[in-house]
Amino acid sequence: MKKVLLVDDSISVARQLEKIVTESGEFQVVGHAKNGLESIKMYQSLHPDIICMDMNMPGMDGITALRTLMALDRNIKVVMITSLGGVGDKFNEAIKLGARNVISKPFETDNVLKILREA
Amino acid sequence: MAVKFFGQFLVEQGIIPRDVLLQAINLQESANKSVGEIVLDLGFLNAEAVEKVNRAQRTVDMRFGDLAVQMGLLTPDQLQRALARQSETHLYIGEAIVSVGGFTDEDLQRYLAEFKADQAQFATSKVEIPAGVPYADLCEIMADMTYKMFTRVARLNFRPGPCQIVTHLDQVHVMAAMDFTGDLRCRYILTASADVQEEIAKAILNQESVYDEPKEVLDDTVMEFVNVVCGNVVAKSAQQGKSLDIMPPEIIDSTGGIDIPVGYTGLYFPVCLADNGLAAISIIIYP
Repeated sequence: MKKVLLVDDSISVARQLEKIVTESGEFQVVGHAKNGLESIKMYQSLHPDIICMDMNMPGMDGITALRTLMALDRNIKVVMITSLGGVGDKFNEAIKLGARNVISKPFETDNVLKILREA
Repeated sequence: MAVKFFGQFLVEQGIIPRDVLLQAINLQESANKSVGEIVLDLGFLNAEAVEKVNRAQRTVDMRFGDLAVQMGLLTPDQLQRALARQSETHLYIGEAIVSVGGFTDEDLQRYLAEFKADQAQFATSKVEIPAGVPYADLCEIMADMTYKMFTRVARLNFRPGPCQIVTHLDQVHVMAAMDFTGDLRCRYILTASADVQEEIAKAILNQESVYDEPKEVLDDTVMEFVNVVCGNVVAKSAQQGKSLDIMPPEIIDSTGGIDIPVGYTGLYFPVCLADNGLAAISIIIYP
């Protein structure tokens, strides 16, 4: 079962995602970081297969954390989460930095699982 | 169920792989010039003047062309000619994907039609905004997107009331706010009674009951609802050529209500719910 690290400052988003991911039976949530900095520390200790990272967080945001994580390991699988999916420059920046894909909010269960399977 | 960028739609649907999109983005970025580059090409400004405007932009929140006109370096006519050149030579992501061999021109037309059908649900419905209100088009998108998310995310039955200009917002059970910057500087506020908050929480957490949930979680679900609405407002506005950015959402203390400061414009959109719950959207536009 693939290990997933959730990174979002919102408790409710983390719970939504955890439910989708866990109920699929294909993934296991191994941790929940509340900002970018925490995600880097948790990545180093938990070694997840996939990181689901919110773009818009207080403190270290998702894009900064993505840049740092990609510098640590070019093969790391990061999927960004955003309600700003339609904004081309944000999407482009995430993809150019190495994100595998971007999940838009509100979540669609099938779409979230498809993106995680393909990551 | 969200407002999307065409490239994102194509990758999400598995129509093109991520590396083809990346090639197209790189091509698009090399082909599409900024207004600063265009005025340099047209000989309207020299490199030194362009740099002067770039430096000024670090402290002034204005677009390059508008600032260059304000600084007296560019005439309004020159700016219009530069913008026209930018628009004529713009390479769209679909065209860039065709150029890098991702699909054919015929495929592009088909996928664009599919994309438009997918996004049709986000076409802005008419929301009446009182005459004279600045940025009425963006306020309309904010109200309309909230109504759409009330239906699609919170699954609420409601009827929108008429928009009013107000100078005071009454105290309510919960008030969640998000600040916008960019082409419009304003504060978006969603207010909800306890039963509406409960419905939002049930929908966001996908639970039958939220009776045992602590206040922190219930408040977080309202902030997340605001985040989803406002994020999609930013995306929708970008499709219409408007640049907005958002700050993280927050719960605000509404004890005693909120007075709208002099010089600011307060808009209030009441929402009537079938089961007597109360909700409203307020937009405070900065001068």
